[in-house]
Amino acid sequence: MGQKTSNTTSNKAANSSFFSFLKRFSPPKPSSDKTTSPRTGIFAKLTPNKSMDFTRLISNCISFASTRTQEYLVFKDPEGKFLPSSQALTQVFLMTYITQSVNLDYTDTFNCTAMTPEQRILLGADWVWAILEKPTKNPKIQIAVQVLHLPEREEAEEREAEGKPVSESIQMAQMESRNKNAYERMVDFCTSIGKDCYALFLFFGKRDDRENIYGVLSNNFEADVGKLRSNSPDLSWC
Amino acid sequence: MAATQDVKGKGEGGDQNFDYMFKLLIIGNSSVGKTSFLFRYADDAFTSAFVSTVGIDFKVKTVYKNDKRIKLQIWDTAGQERYRTITTAYYRGAMGFILMYDITNEESFGAVQDWSTQIKTYSWDNAQVVLAGNKCDMEEERVVSVDSGRLLAEQLGFEFFETSAKDNINVKQTFERLVDLICDKMSESLDTDPAVTSGAPTAKLTDSAPPLQQPGCNC
Repeated sequence: MGQKTSNTTSNKAANSSFFSFLKRFSPPKPSSDKTTSPRTGIFAKLTPNKSMDFTRLISNCISFASTRTQEYLVFKDPEGKFLPSSQALTQVFLMTYITQSVNLDYTDTFNCTAMTPEQRILLGADWVWAILEKPTKNPKIQIAVQVLHLPEREEAEEREAEGKPVSESIQMAQMESRNKNAYERMVDFCTSIGKDCYALFLFFGKRDDRENIYGVLSNNFEADVGKLRSNSPDLSWC
Repeated sequence: MAATQDVKGKGEGGDQNFDYMFKLLIIGNSSVGKTSFLFRYADDAFTSAFVSTVGIDFKVKTVYKNDKRIKLQIWDTAGQERYRTITTAYYRGAMGFILMYDITNEESFGAVQDWSTQIKTYSWDNAQVVLAGNKCDMEEERVVSVDSGRLLAEQLGFEFFETSAKDNINVKQTFERLVDLICDKMSESLDTDPAVTSGAPTAKLTDSAPPLQQPGCNC
């Protein structure tokens, strides 16, 4: 059912299936005839040129974001004081990705919309990638992404959050969404749009490989929504 | 029109005490300015950068009206057709709609009738609607006249405002009028048949007096 994505952090060169997927829907060439400003360091490596296709650009941005996130994922504070939160890891990934994509100037073709805290609860997605149609800029294909973290990281945060005030709008969003878990909500969201909306569950570490990032992608999770319910919150079926 | 008074400065955790809660929706074609309109009203902010709304989102704002505290849960809907299934699911229980078009976009005005049909299909009969012709600051690019907007509103039985989220024109007034209409409708329904409004979808009562069950609602 699900299409396994590459392990983006452990093997940067092999951005296989997820990017093959993107390639199916990508425009023929980036509109990158325009001159781009010179970049240094890692950005120099990502500067688009005529030979670099659109898929590669996205692939590089995601790989770079994954690598940056991995630095925090594997971080171990000798004194045990610092432990990046789930939210921080997601933000590191997104901020890195967005910085790269803006620098490469392809956001009018493949954009990334980060959800508001309320939307994250209502729709179950952390962000949504979209291949945009020109000139309308309407999404042609979308990928809603939900990040999953190691259970112990989330449990520690839940303990820490206990008793802390939650904003009114967050409470309302939780009330609206109380009948379904986050996986089901995202699958529902994608299903409501149709087959051109894919759900991507990104795993920031998994039990037997805590230092890498994995993903599973499908536009047909609804076929197995019972499994989502019975196995939550671990998604161990992946 | 009875004036409503904004309540600002709510901290984390929010305010759980309120007399009524109204669920409102802003609907209309993509890029007519629904999100900007809500940001102007809820946060008094405006940015010209266009970010298409994904699915649905909402903000909460509390207003006072005749010493009653009214919590507005304002849903911002995506205008694109691909989100229609998810957005119409939220019509259920809405007490008021702001149906928005863009005065510089004829197509968005032409779609008003369809949006009105959507309200009738997915909402309840007592839902109140205000038609808003947004971007009235862009006079030079206007393609929909004020009279056309007003006439259509009359035909559909809606109230009408021309608005600008950018220049903050008639934003607060639109919401105030919608709140007034909902309150009037509640009072009217109570006068005729108390049972009608006891089932009002999202009017939420506090632990104290249950206003919806009292005749002559005076919100």
